[in-house]
Amino acid sequence: MLALGACLLASSTGRGQDETTYMSVLSSRKHRLNASDNPVVGLYVSKDRGMTWEHRGWREYIRVFYTEAGPDGILWSACGNGVLRSADGGMTWRISTGWEITEVLKVHVSPTNPETAFGATAYGIIRTTDSGKSWCAMTRGFHRTFTSDLCVDRARPAHILAASEEGVYESEDNGNTWKLGTLRGIVVNVIAQHPLNEREFFAGTEDNGLFRSTNGGKSWHVSKTSLSRMTIYALAFDPSSPSTVFAGTYGSGVYRSVDGGTTWLQKDQGLQILDVHSLVVLQGRPSVVLAGTLNGGLYRSIDGGDHWTFNSQEEAQVWGLSTTRVK
Amino acid sequence: MRILLLSLLLWSSSAFAQDDHGYSARARHLLEVAAGETETSFFSLAAKIHLGRDLPRAYSILDSMERDRSMGGRFYAYTLIGTYLHTRDMLPDSLKRKVREAFRVRMMYRGDTENHWVMYYTGLYLAAQTWPNEDGTRWFNGKTSEENFREAEGWLNHWMTITSTIGQGEFDSPTYMTVFVSPMFVLYEFAQNPLMKTRAQAMLDLLLADFAAEQLDGAYCGGHSRDYPDDIINPLAAPATRVAWLFFGQPKEEKWDEARYRPRNRGSWETVFAALGSYRLPEIIYRMATDRTVPYVHTETKRVRNIIRFGDVRNPPVYKYTYMTADYALGSLQGGILQPIQQHTWDVTFKSEKPNNTLFMLHPFFSGRELAMFFPEEIKFLAGEVDRYHLVYTNPNKWNSSSPFEQTLQHKNALIVLYNILPGEKHPHVDGFFPKSLDERIVDGSGWIFCRAGDTYIAFHPLKPFEWIEEDVNWRLRSHDLKNGAVVEVGSAASHGTFEDFKAAIRSTKLRFDDFDRSLTVEYVTSGGDHLRFTYGGKRLVNNRPVDFRAYRLFNGPFMQADVGSGVITLRYKEKTRTLDFPKGTILGN
Repeated sequence: MLALGACLLASSTGRGQDETTYMSVLSSRKHRLNASDNPVVGLYVSKDRGMTWEHRGWREYIRVFYTEAGPDGILWSACGNGVLRSADGGMTWRISTGWEITEVLKVHVSPTNPETAFGATAYGIIRTTDSGKSWCAMTRGFHRTFTSDLCVDRARPAHILAASEEGVYESEDNGNTWKLGTLRGIVVNVIAQHPLNEREFFAGTEDNGLFRSTNGGKSWHVSKTSLSRMTIYALAFDPSSPSTVFAGTYGSGVYRSVDGGTTWLQKDQGLQILDVHSLVVLQGRPSVVLAGTLNGGLYRSIDGGDHWTFNSQEEAQVWGLSTTRVK
Repeated sequence: MRILLLSLLLWSSSAFAQDDHGYSARARHLLEVAAGETETSFFSLAAKIHLGRDLPRAYSILDSMERDRSMGGRFYAYTLIGTYLHTRDMLPDSLKRKVREAFRVRMMYRGDTENHWVMYYTGLYLAAQTWPNEDGTRWFNGKTSEENFREAEGWLNHWMTITSTIGQGEFDSPTYMTVFVSPMFVLYEFAQNPLMKTRAQAMLDLLLADFAAEQLDGAYCGGHSRDYPDDIINPLAAPATRVAWLFFGQPKEEKWDEARYRPRNRGSWETVFAALGSYRLPEIIYRMATDRTVPYVHTETKRVRNIIRFGDVRNPPVYKYTYMTADYALGSLQGGILQPIQQHTWDVTFKSEKPNNTLFMLHPFFSGRELAMFFPEEIKFLAGEVDRYHLVYTNPNKWNSSSPFEQTLQHKNALIVLYNILPGEKHPHVDGFFPKSLDERIVDGSGWIFCRAGDTYIAFHPLKPFEWIEEDVNWRLRSHDLKNGAVVEVGSAASHGTFEDFKAAIRSTKLRFDDFDRSLTVEYVTSGGDHLRFTYGGKRLVNNRPVDFRAYRLFNGPFMQADVGSGVITLRYKEKTRTLDFPKGTILGN
C-alpha cells in the first residue's frame, strides 16, 4: 500500500488499483457544535472514487481534522482529543496520545518508516517512532509553536518543513531541532511537495497567496497570479498529470494550474460554497477531484475540476481529505 | 500513611466544620425542587432517585439519557458517573451494566476549554476508578482502566497546580463556576485516593472562597473571564447565584419560578451534586461571603486562557481589582483581550431587590484573529462559527466583549475606563448599560450622570458626547467617538450621606480631560481626595505613585492571601485561618 497525504504521491497512473479515500468531517452548520448526535461528522471512507461514502468509527463530535493511512494500513486521525489510531480500517480506535497533546490538525506518516509519524498541533510538532505507543513534543527551536501542517521531504526524510504562523520552520534532523527558515512573517497554512520533482515545494498562506520553491525549500517565490493575495487552505497534485496542481482557497473556490503552478485558472463551476479547505485528486483519467468545503459539504468533479457537483455532507465542514492506493 | 491519616482527619472534621446557617434545609429544598423538574437532566434524575420519587420512571429516563447522544461528551462523562455513583445502591443491575457500557460504546470528546477538561477528566478518573483492571476494549478510547486513571489523575493534578499558582483561566465566571465546582463535589465525594480527595476539597474551598470574597448578596461582582449577556445584565440570573444561595444563604430566598432568580439555562442544576454530597462549607468561607461590615479592596492574579498563536506568552497574567462594600461592589480587570468572546471587564454591582442590578460600559469588539489566538481553526472562518453558538459575538449591541482598545484604572470606589479604537474598526462605538431598575438616573449639567439604586449612588462622567437608546430593561448610552471613556465613582448612604450630598461631593471633584484626544490622559481627584491620573497605553498613577501590576499577588485582601507561584492560599476571617497547601496536599485550620 502506498499512502497519499498532502505531500506524498504515487507515480503510478493506472486505474486498476484499489483506492481508498478518507474524508474527515469536522462539524456541520446544521447541528450544534457540541452535540454528539451529529449524523454527518467524523471519518468517512470511500472505495468507489468518492461516489459513495461509509462512516467509520465514532459518530460523536470529536473534532476530527484529518485522517491518513500509513503504508502498513494503520489509520491515523488528527483530532481535538489527540491522535487516534486504528489498526482495523477504522472499526476500532485508540487515542494514542495523552492529556499533554491536544488539537492535532494534521498527521503524516513518514514516507520511509511507517512506525514514524508526525503531527502538527496547536502546541507544536509531535512525533512517534513506535507507531503511536508514545509521542513526544518536538518543539526545540520554535519561537511560537502553532503549526497547521508539515511535510516530510521524500528526498531527505530527516528534512521536515512545518507551516506556522511565523513562516516555514525547518528541521534537518527528523524533527529533533527546528529553526525558522523562510517566508518569515507570513502565516503559512499548508505545505506540499511535488510528486515527481522532489526539489519542488508549494506553500499556501493566509494572506499572501501561494509560494513555490524549486530548491528544496531554501527559497520561495510568490505566485504572481490571481492567487497572489488569496488565502490558501489546500493543495493537491494530479497523480495522472503531475504538472496539474490544485489550490483550495477561502472565498474563491478551487484554482487549477496545468503548467506546474506557473499560471492558474479559477475552477468554481458548480461550487455553491467557495471556501475550500481540503482537496484530493484520485487516480485515473479523467481525473476525479474532491473538494471539501467549509459549511458546504463535499463536491466532486469528474473532469479534472472543470465542473463540480455536490456529493454529500450537506452544510458540513469537510476539513480533511486523503487517499491511499493498494498496488 | 501520614498524608492518609491527615486527609481522613481533615475530611471528617470538615463535615462538621460549618455552623449550618440553614444549609441543610436549603440542600433539601434544592433536591425537592430538582426532583420535581419536568426537564430531564442527570442532576434532576439523581435527585429523583435519591428521594425515591417515581423510581420506575426515573430508571426509564436514566436508560434513555444514557443512550442520548445530544449531550457533549465531557458534560456526559462526569454527570453520568456522578449520577451513577450517587445512586448505584438503588439502581437495578441491568441499568448499572448499561452505564458501564456507555463508557465503552460512546466516544467522549474532551472539549477545548478549561471547564470541559475538568468535567471530562473528573468523569474519566472516577469511571476508571469504578471499573479498574479492564483492558482497552472495554473503554471508548481504547485505553486500559489504569491508563485512563493515570491520564485523568495527571491532568487533574496539573490543573490544580496551575490554578493554585498562576490562577484560573476561566476565572470568576458567574455562568461557568458551577461546572468547575460541580465536578469537584463529585471528585471529593468519591475519590478513593485520600490525597486526591483532599485536593478536591482544597479546590472546592479555593473556588468557593474566590467567589465568597467577591460576591454581594448572591451576585458575582466585578470582572469576569466569561459570561453570557443575560447573566451580565441580570447578575442574579447567573448559575453562580445558586451556589451563593445554597452555601451562603444569599440571596435570602430562592424564588424558583421568578424569572429574575431563574438561571438563564433551566438546566443549571449542578449544585444538586453538592446537595447530595458530604462537602460542607468551612465556616471561615461563609463568613467571608457574608460579612460586609467593613469595605475592603480585594485583588487577584488570574491567567489568560492558553494563547496558541499570535502571542509570545502562553498565559499572560490578568490583574483583577474589586472594591467591596455592604451596598455595592466596583470591580475591574485591567482591560485588553484577556479571554475570547465573553469577557466582562468591569462593572458596578449593587444590592437591590430589583433585577438588572449592575452598570458597566464596553467596546463591542470582534475579530477572527482574536479567536485564532485561542482556537486552532482557520482565522477567517472562526468569527462566523463562533456566532453560530454564542449568537452575539459579531453583534454591535452585545453586552460581553474583550476589546484590545479598552483599558482601566481602578482605585477603591473610583474607576477610569479609556478607549482608543482604531479607525476602521467594525463597531466604532462604546456602549454603557444603565438599567431601568435604577431608582434615579439624572443627566446633570456638570457633565455627570447621577444614578441611585436604593442606598447606592453612582456617578458616571462620559468623556464624549453620547445618545440614549431605550431598550427592554435598560437605557443604552452610546458614544461614537473612537477616543473615548468614562470616569466612575460610586458611593452610598453609608459613605456619602444623602443622594444630594453625594451629587454635591462629586460636582466638587476635579476632573480634567480637556486635551484627551491628543494626550489620551484623564486626571480625577475623587470625592475622598485620591488623585488618579491615567494615560491610555501609558502610566496609571494613584496619588502620584504608579500602579505596579507585577506586585499583584495571587490573592490579596482581608480574606485571602497567596503569592503567585506558591500554591499556598491562606483564608482569613478575624482570628481564624485556613491554609490550602496544594504542594503538600494538606488543608490546615478551620
